[in-house]
Amino acid sequence: MQKRTGILFYPGMILLLAVLLFPLLWQFVASIKPPSELFGDEAFRFYTSNPSLENYELVFTLRPFATYMWNSTVVAVLTTVYCIVIASFAAFAIARLHFPGKSLVLGLVLAVSMFPQIATIAPIFMFMDSVDLTNSWIGLVIPYTTFALPLAIWNLTTFYRKIPADLEEAAKIDGATIMQTFWKVFFPLAVPGTFTTAILVFIAAWNEFLFALTINTEEAWKTVPVGIALFQGQFTVPWGEIAAASVIVTIPLVIMVLIFQRRIIDGITSGAVKE
Amino acid sequence: MKKPLLDEKRMGALLLFPSLITILVIAIWPVLRSFWISLHDVRLNNPTKTQVHADYGINLEKFSEVYPVLKRNLDAAAGEAEPDVKQELTALKERAEKVNGRLMNDPDIARKLEQVDELLLEGDPVPEELRTATLTKETADEIMADLKEIRDVLSRLAEEKKLKDDTLSGLGRGLSESVIEPNFVGLGYYVKLIKDKRMWDALENTFVFTVISVSLELILGLAIAIFINRKFFGRGMVRAAVLVPWAIPTVISALMWKFMFDGQNGIVAKWFETIGLVSDMGELLTTKFGSMFAIIFADVWKTTPFMALLLLAGLQTIPRSLYEAADVDGASKLRQFIHITLPMLKSTILVALLFRTLDAFRIFDLVYVLTGGGPANATETISIYAYKTMFAQMNFGEGSALSVVVFLCVALISGVFVKLLGADLISDGRGK
Repeated sequence: MQKRTGILFYPGMILLLAVLLFPLLWQFVASIKPPSELFGDEAFRFYTSNPSLENYELVFTLRPFATYMWNSTVVAVLTTVYCIVIASFAAFAIARLHFPGKSLVLGLVLAVSMFPQIATIAPIFMFMDSVDLTNSWIGLVIPYTTFALPLAIWNLTTFYRKIPADLEEAAKIDGATIMQTFWKVFFPLAVPGTFTTAILVFIAAWNEFLFALTINTEEAWKTVPVGIALFQGQFTVPWGEIAAASVIVTIPLVIMVLIFQRRIIDGITSGAVKE
Repeated sequence: MKKPLLDEKRMGALLLFPSLITILVIAIWPVLRSFWISLHDVRLNNPTKTQVHADYGINLEKFSEVYPVLKRNLDAAAGEAEPDVKQELTALKERAEKVNGRLMNDPDIARKLEQVDELLLEGDPVPEELRTATLTKETADEIMADLKEIRDVLSRLAEEKKLKDDTLSGLGRGLSESVIEPNFVGLGYYVKLIKDKRMWDALENTFVFTVISVSLELILGLAIAIFINRKFFGRGMVRAAVLVPWAIPTVISALMWKFMFDGQNGIVAKWFETIGLVSDMGELLTTKFGSMFAIIFADVWKTTPFMALLLLAGLQTIPRSLYEAADVDGASKLRQFIHITLPMLKSTILVALLFRTLDAFRIFDLVYVLTGGGPANATETISIYAYKTMFAQMNFGEGSALSVVVFLCVALISGVFVKLLGADLISDGRGK
């Protein structure tokens, strides 16, 4: 950490950033190029002399992209809220209460987070189909719990553990019940951790592909990843529109990452790194 | 102080209840159910095989759709046929009536059939509980024998051109399909899969992809972590930039790379051709080697940053004093790395490797979008193969067997890592 920066440091850093960010830059350039410049000799130019927003317009007029965005937002928000609420109780119990079988529960949660999605999809699809929940928001929120809930419980448990035990004891001495301790002492202190976990769950749900691909197949119910992946052109791949759609989806995520950078890093590393 | 209504043990159970029940219903049950489905011949494109059937049964919707038409057509055909054919057709009609009579003998089935008839007449959808009825094995055997006879005679007559058209033989086939047989096949699919070259190829592809991309991600990630583990200008921005590839949906990054790897207009393909990495731009997505390289490259781009952040967090927990002491003792940077950094990072590396390996092994979306498993199945991973079997061929039994194979592999991999990590992984954190 305290290492000083050498001569090669900044050029190295710039190279690293260039490699990481180039695809995004290229996608942006492609999104403002007119179709004719996406192919042929001009395909490799880093700039365009005729920038246009036509692709952005097409994404919303030719395709139901706004619908995709709305579906993704609703599904991701519902999943996040539902999982965070029930995971908060579970995490508090695992981190702060004494009862037998705790490690077993935690082990189970960890094991479930390792389950491959493909191994659950057949029964989930058949169930959703038989109760007519395919092509609906709930039809995705329910299966999304498979990965979102273990993620939430795991992260929140780490945050609840970090809260000093003294507070718990003080609350106990003052005669607070377990629920009072949870609501008045722990939950307020865990708000930052809860928020961090919510961001991670939201990103995971927003990015999900396999369930969305199989369960919501109608145009009006597709989510963003499925919608974009299935953009079809009549003769060629509509790269310009794909690029514009990608830029639209990427910008909010980039902003989110910029604002919550510290928290996200906390969140993804908290389970893996022992302090 | 009054004793609380619920002690900690009960309260703990109560607080855990919603999460545990959700996990049970949404993750554990489906996995067990997948295994159960994999023992059955379940096909969503075949009306009598859409579910697991342990018993014999009859598809009442199908029966009452076909039976009256068949009877009417048999009458009509008999009316204009030669005497010998006429005799056969009349006999068949009697047989069909016998089957109907047998079904009507059962008051439950008779009631259901009546309701189904009514619904069909109105053109209303038939609800699930009316659609099928269970039969005893004896009844089913008898009915099946009769229906088989009807089907066989009609198709023979059709072949001998003694019928005006194919409608009757089609109806005969349709009626015989209304009987539902138990579709238990036991371990049949697993036996078939063991001999299936495509599955072994898919496993090999998955394995190659996992090993190469995870090793590259670990090496590059460690290098980047060490590289940025210092104070420098713009550190926050760099860390945010590093997070971007991790945060954008895999599908979007797959599309970005598909565009850049494109054989005619892809800029990265062109660069690779220029520096001689590939002999022709088109090779990247059209050859076995090229396409595997392409998915590994895209995955490394997306996940190395994530790996680097995990390792960076680990690096920051190593006390600085260890390095200072080593410096005083005159240890070289390399020795410091081998004797301090690596051992101190061991559990972080193992945890990161565990999650990355599992993710890589389960990979679906990147491959689905970037190559679709092609060319010629060269990049087909085991999850892709399972998906195609289930949703393109509608063969849920065999697809589930494949997905169970993925599950078993994942369990095996986690088992190995958990053994290496020991109780560290889920220790309850209070012991310290």
